[in-house]
Amino acid sequence: MMNRRNFLKKAAAASAMAAAATMIPGILFASDQIDKKLSGDINWTKGPCRFCGVGCGVLIGTQKGKAVAVKGDPNCSVNKGLLCVKGYHQIMCTSSADRLTKPLVKKNGKYVETSMEEALDLVASKMKETIEKHGKDSVAMYTSGQSTIPEGYVASKFMKGAIGTNNLDCNARLCMASAVTGFLTTFGADEPMGCYEDIEHANVFVLWGNNMAEMHPVLFSRMLDNRLNRKNVKIIDLATRTTRTSKAADKSILFKPQSDLAIANAICYELINNGWVNNSFVEKHIAFNKGKTNIGYGLEDKFKFKDKATPIDFDQYKSFLEDYRPDKVEAITGVSAKDIKYLASLYGDPNLKVVSFWCMGMNQHTRGTWINNLVYNIHLLTGKISQPGNGPFSLTGQPSACGTAREVGTFTHKLPKGVVMNKKHRELAAKIWKVPYERIPDKPTYHATEMFRAVDRGDIKFIWTQVTNPLVSLPKTSRYRPAMQKDSCFVVVSDVFPTPTSDVADVILPAAWHVEKSGLYGNSERRTQYWDKMVEAPGEAMPDAWMTIEIARRMGYGDLFPYSKENHHEEIYNEYRQFHAGKKHNMAPLEVLKKQSGVIWPYIEETGKSTQWRFNSKYDPACNQDKDFDFYGKPDGKAVIWQRPYEPAPEIPDNEYPFWLNTGRVIEHWHTGSMTRRIPVLHQAVPNAYVELHPDDAKQMGIRNKQKVKVISRRGTTILPASINERGLPTKGQVFVPFFDESMMINDVTLDAFCPISKEPDYKKCAVRIEKV
Amino acid sequence: MKQGYVIIGFWIVLLIAAGFIVKASLTEEQALNYSEIIAEPATNALPVEEGMFRLAGSAKAFLQRPNMGATSTNLEEYYKRRAFPGAPPIIPHPTEEAHSMGGNDCLQCHQNGGYVDEYKAFAPITPHTEYINCKQCHLPVNTTGVFKPNRWKKTDAPEAKQQALLGSPPIIPHSLEMRNNCLACHAGPSAPAEIRVSHPDRVNCRQCHALNDNAKNTTKIWTR
Repeated sequence: MMNRRNFLKKAAAASAMAAAATMIPGILFASDQIDKKLSGDINWTKGPCRFCGVGCGVLIGTQKGKAVAVKGDPNCSVNKGLLCVKGYHQIMCTSSADRLTKPLVKKNGKYVETSMEEALDLVASKMKETIEKHGKDSVAMYTSGQSTIPEGYVASKFMKGAIGTNNLDCNARLCMASAVTGFLTTFGADEPMGCYEDIEHANVFVLWGNNMAEMHPVLFSRMLDNRLNRKNVKIIDLATRTTRTSKAADKSILFKPQSDLAIANAICYELINNGWVNNSFVEKHIAFNKGKTNIGYGLEDKFKFKDKATPIDFDQYKSFLEDYRPDKVEAITGVSAKDIKYLASLYGDPNLKVVSFWCMGMNQHTRGTWINNLVYNIHLLTGKISQPGNGPFSLTGQPSACGTAREVGTFTHKLPKGVVMNKKHRELAAKIWKVPYERIPDKPTYHATEMFRAVDRGDIKFIWTQVTNPLVSLPKTSRYRPAMQKDSCFVVVSDVFPTPTSDVADVILPAAWHVEKSGLYGNSERRTQYWDKMVEAPGEAMPDAWMTIEIARRMGYGDLFPYSKENHHEEIYNEYRQFHAGKKHNMAPLEVLKKQSGVIWPYIEETGKSTQWRFNSKYDPACNQDKDFDFYGKPDGKAVIWQRPYEPAPEIPDNEYPFWLNTGRVIEHWHTGSMTRRIPVLHQAVPNAYVELHPDDAKQMGIRNKQKVKVISRRGTTILPASINERGLPTKGQVFVPFFDESMMINDVTLDAFCPISKEPDYKKCAVRIEKV
Repeated sequence: MKQGYVIIGFWIVLLIAAGFIVKASLTEEQALNYSEIIAEPATNALPVEEGMFRLAGSAKAFLQRPNMGATSTNLEEYYKRRAFPGAPPIIPHPTEEAHSMGGNDCLQCHQNGGYVDEYKAFAPITPHTEYINCKQCHLPVNTTGVFKPNRWKKTDAPEAKQQALLGSPPIIPHSLEMRNNCLACHAGPSAPAEIRVSHPDRVNCRQCHALNDNAKNTTKIWTR
């Protein structure tokens, strides 16, 4: 390699060649190509990206009825024209040779192509027959945080309003449930109060177990941009593993798995001890509660838990924190008291604006609700919330985990507005759906993990999955794969590509991909984004919403689903919008969404503007305008600081299984890889999963890079190549495996323990043993 | 005398204390009455103008840069590295799969270019040095196989054509997002020979070359 000075020297020495350089044949100028043919016009249409919860605006280029190019939408304030490598290449999956284009029905153990009519008839009759024989609660639907808003809405209306069962849950249970229960317990209202523009105002970013450089890359670039331009910006990476994010951060702090609970409490201890509490904010806007402790891990079937809030006062909370003095928790956290004091000083400095970001590290946690509560405590004690550049920011994983799963409510306990347990909420749903309100059952049934346990037990005899691949993404697939293979359950899978889940299906329904249908997504910052269908779906592939409607009609609920084939997404959205009418959650009308790259709710009709910071009366008209802040999700307008202790993980490394296993994603692949692995650019960069080891651990076991090793837990085993000092560097005694690879199933190894409050499984912690193959 | 010092000292201490109290109350006031006027949300388009002149300082050098017998990229190779015209190119050489960021790695060679002996080639210059998380968009190739066969067909690359008049400067046939620094790809020894400009020292490219990226629907006929 030569540096610039050398280069210039050589350049001078060879100056004689310079004149000749322009004469070398092959060096032509653009003007020489004038006569060449036209390349054809490209039609650019806006939409949200298909992949993560950031919700970048993309422009899809179409030519002669085909999607041919992707670029970032410069008019979308989320990404301002930038995308990540998945986004740029997303349309390439649709041309995969094994695309599902015809329904497949299993007959005598073999898949036979049928017409869509025949397949839908079969599914409807099977579902009807199962209900008649075994009751409403023997059928279930399992959908997705990647379902569009109309898809989620008709699924909910079909299951809860038409059939009358709460057997509807979705894969967002596996990624966002703890965020939801965190919001509801602390604020009484779901979803972040701030927006991405916080990035342009904050001075300090604390990333709690969040590898943003790979998982939310566009937001991370936005953060780096700000650090470059504004100078007074710091990024602190607080994690259990060294990643690209740690390397780009100003400071990387590594902690022991599960000990984030103790770290957050220790920060609060420091805030109080140093007098950094914003007293007037706390007095006016905060209530203190404690909940139950020793709450279990949900490892057994039919596990039940109900938390109970007990009011406490500030002094009780303060004395509870005595156990979390930074030097006292060093042993649990592995973080020096100095580092905790440093973090506390950043949160505590009234002149610094602080944003905390997190995603799966805190949500996929057996105390997920608690750790969400605890990080809110930090922001509530300091009053750093609901202001530009100040706030806790829970990021979502999936493109419409907020828009569909959380807002439409495709969970067993949810309705488009509120919960099934609440009579008023049931009445509202019944009124808009035009069904008798008694039909909506008042008790939740199965959350995701329990739903597949019920399949295993034989309680669920019919299950229909849409837009998701549970047999790769569930924890402990070593139990749930055989469960789904049992004859006791009829399995219907709607998908774009064959997956390990469709491999066990009795009927496979081919689905239209993203831009082959119109739809709406809602991202992490409460932004609802609309897109128009841009290309035709191949063969008989059909939008998932339309499949649900076709089945509902065949089962005799046609009058509840009076939508038109061409325009059902619009008719459904307009119906759905009624649920959120009112200042607190008003959704923008379709005409507005069609024009703009998304709108943040609550949408203010009078001004046509988004509400960027909720709960702050300066920005949010839904607040009581006599107060500066109004946490209107709670009846008394007060947010809750929760007293939540540190409790250990359910399975801790021991002599037999000496390593922590952490799982997650890589930037190249989206979830179970059913789309991204079919995109050659992405597959060629990361063709298979691997197990990251700390170099010292590898050396001790005599494991070389790329050597195959066995990862073994009490549940199952998988064999992967070792990765030493490559993408990520786990701490000693920990290994990391990405979960996208269906041929190296790490979820056969993981544990299906979950947060008893949110019922979200913990994919980040279990005990494993490593053996050379 | 001694007593006098004590009294003076006492007053000084009191004064300092008062100062601290006032300061503390002021900062508290500040913290509570936080009110910042928010500028219009940053909804500006990705500034296609930004970075336009970044390599202007090297323009003269570009004119003189010899190719030193290096293998220069041709346009075919250039497009082979992209899934479609306008897609981010792959990384065609081996990289350390490091967790480090572009600022410490990739940009060492790709910020300003230079001759790389190992590849007998000049490092291409990135048109967007402001983005340092390079592997957010650019990936190495670690296998040549595919997961499943794919029928993807690349569209033809846009070509410089459509001179408005005979001899008038050719239009810019591609969009400028992420590619607003023309000299990065069109000047110097790392530029593909076919698209290397004869006059990089003119620098203000868009003085003469207008944009028409063939987007069908971005401009509408204006009606009064």
